[in-house]
Amino acid sequence: MRWFLRRLAFYVFAIWLALTITFLIPQLMPGDPIGGLLQHLTPAQIQANPGIIETYEKIFGGKGQSVWAAYWQYLGRAVHLNFGLSTSNYPTPVNEVIARTLPYSIVLVGVSFVFAFILGTTIGMIAAWRRGGTFDTIFVPIFMALGAFPAYFTALLIVYFLGLKLGWFPIQHAYGLDTTPGLNWPFISSAVDHGILPGLVIVLAFAGGWVLNMRTVMINTISEDYVSMAQAKGLKDRRVMTRYAARNAILPPLNGFAPQFATAVGGVIFVELVFSYPGAGYTLQQAALGKDLPLTQALLLVFAICPIIAMFLTDIANLFLDPRIRQS
Amino acid sequence: MAQIQAEIQATPLDPVVAPEDSSRRFHLPGWLTLLLRNPKARIGLFVLGTMVVLAIIAPFIANAESATTFNILTTRQAPSWHHLFGTTDQGSDVWAGVVFGARRSLLTGFLAAVLATALAATLGITAAYMGGLVDDVISLITAVVFVIPAIPLLIDITAYIHNRGMLTMILVVGGLLWAFEARILRGQALTLKNRDFVHAAKVSGESNRRIVFGELMPNMISRIAAAFVLVFYIAILVEAGLEFLGLGDSGKSSWGVSLYWATVNSSVLQGEWWSFLFPGLAIGLTVLALTLILAGIDEVSNPRLRGIPKKRTSRSRRSAKA
Repeated sequence: MRWFLRRLAFYVFAIWLALTITFLIPQLMPGDPIGGLLQHLTPAQIQANPGIIETYEKIFGGKGQSVWAAYWQYLGRAVHLNFGLSTSNYPTPVNEVIARTLPYSIVLVGVSFVFAFILGTTIGMIAAWRRGGTFDTIFVPIFMALGAFPAYFTALLIVYFLGLKLGWFPIQHAYGLDTTPGLNWPFISSAVDHGILPGLVIVLAFAGGWVLNMRTVMINTISEDYVSMAQAKGLKDRRVMTRYAARNAILPPLNGFAPQFATAVGGVIFVELVFSYPGAGYTLQQAALGKDLPLTQALLLVFAICPIIAMFLTDIANLFLDPRIRQS
Repeated sequence: MAQIQAEIQATPLDPVVAPEDSSRRFHLPGWLTLLLRNPKARIGLFVLGTMVVLAIIAPFIANAESATTFNILTTRQAPSWHHLFGTTDQGSDVWAGVVFGARRSLLTGFLAAVLATALAATLGITAAYMGGLVDDVISLITAVVFVIPAIPLLIDITAYIHNRGMLTMILVVGGLLWAFEARILRGQALTLKNRDFVHAAKVSGESNRRIVFGELMPNMISRIAAAFVLVFYIAILVEAGLEFLGLGDSGKSSWGVSLYWATVNSSVLQGEWWSFLFPGLAIGLTVLALTLILAGIDEVSNPRLRGIPKKRTSRSRRSAKA
């Protein structure tokens, strides 16, 4: 329980830190963010919306307002998920843009990330068990190489070969334009079809890290006495590998899940861009290029909160898997 | 007579001094020989060395102007003897783009890593050694990278910046990655901090600054080198990534910028594989080389990770019987 409270305190701190940083960036950056923002709106748009300058001044701490007042205001707005209007999708509010795009990213990254974890740890487990064998010498370098290439490069290669040359899967957008988003079969099957290639890229890009991580931990576990003991009892090789060695080796890779997720959330931006996948990452890139500052600010906050949620879920998984934590 | 005696006295001195001197000057340092004996590190150093040499001799093997200029006569050509890596939609030479891009990409990544390592080693080790409030403040700053993913943070920051030259890129990338590196080095310095030599230095009245820079840092040099290699390749990936998103200086030639133009002009969809394959391979091979060097450093310092089959034969024989 004490452990849980300490973790909870950490999450509160992390979320506060994320809020503070997203607030500070516009304050610390040189130049006048509001002036830059207004350049992207037509004079007619500004005239049609008399309060717009005041709204943006509230968000970015305009003149005549102390930093502290602006900070409190920002926290209040964040709690109400009110981030103002997006200039590149004018006049759609920022939170609507995010609500439209974020689900695609969450499903895409979530599903392919779990696949990457299972694939990576399984390969790492077998590679460590048969260290120096054929499996180890073939698969480990392959996944190391795949991890070294930037995700967008793997994505471009996959678009070229699987999408363009072989024509197996669609290479653009998240669903067919003839379907309507919602809970209907044509849309879901189309969305799955469109998600396969970007998902494959994420699996290939992130499985490698877990192959190496699992292999390293597993090699250390293999030399433990209980593994020799299990072998001495005459248990089957596969049973010793999965039940005795791998079961004890899985915790460090599992704890690496959340930090890896944070990197993946960054990496997915590139993948979404290559596939023109209308997720949060693609939106962030478009917003940054278009200098849509309210949208970039809110999206950065979203990208910061996602790994924190992943960390929280990892902690709960740990609670179930590691008896030492439950007892303390 | 006295002269001869002086000569006799002088001669034994010379051979003693000379080899010591030459070993310092002409022999490879011990750590490098160790690294070169490791096959992974050897391949990595070879590939990285090739990239660096290509970057240095770029003006002799490619035409700088053809890397960036628009030329309508030579657009969209597949690789040929005339254009080794083909040409882009704009008619610029991909080979020239890759070798001149190597200069910018490698230098930006290297300098960002140097900046990050200098900050990380100083602040991370100081935090570990001093503890207390100093540690708390430095740890709070470095916690930022643990909370906010680097790429979205960098995208957000570059969205505000108008000047995206090389120096800005170095400062932004290095200024963020140091925190990540400082966390690693702080953890490692914590394990050293209670060793006898640190206590001895403290008792003998050395200043805190001297202990951090004169005692702890020299003893962590292999860890710092490993962290530097790690941050070097992350910096190359991050910088190329930002450029790929169009958040770099799109007018200059670098690997990320080449990939950016390849996607903007949808070269992939038109089947022009050469315009993205070669810059991408350059990034991938450099990063792979650095990961191999890093794996080599790890294996040299942790023999358990070496891929030597240990007692494997007896185990597999047992399982075959079972």
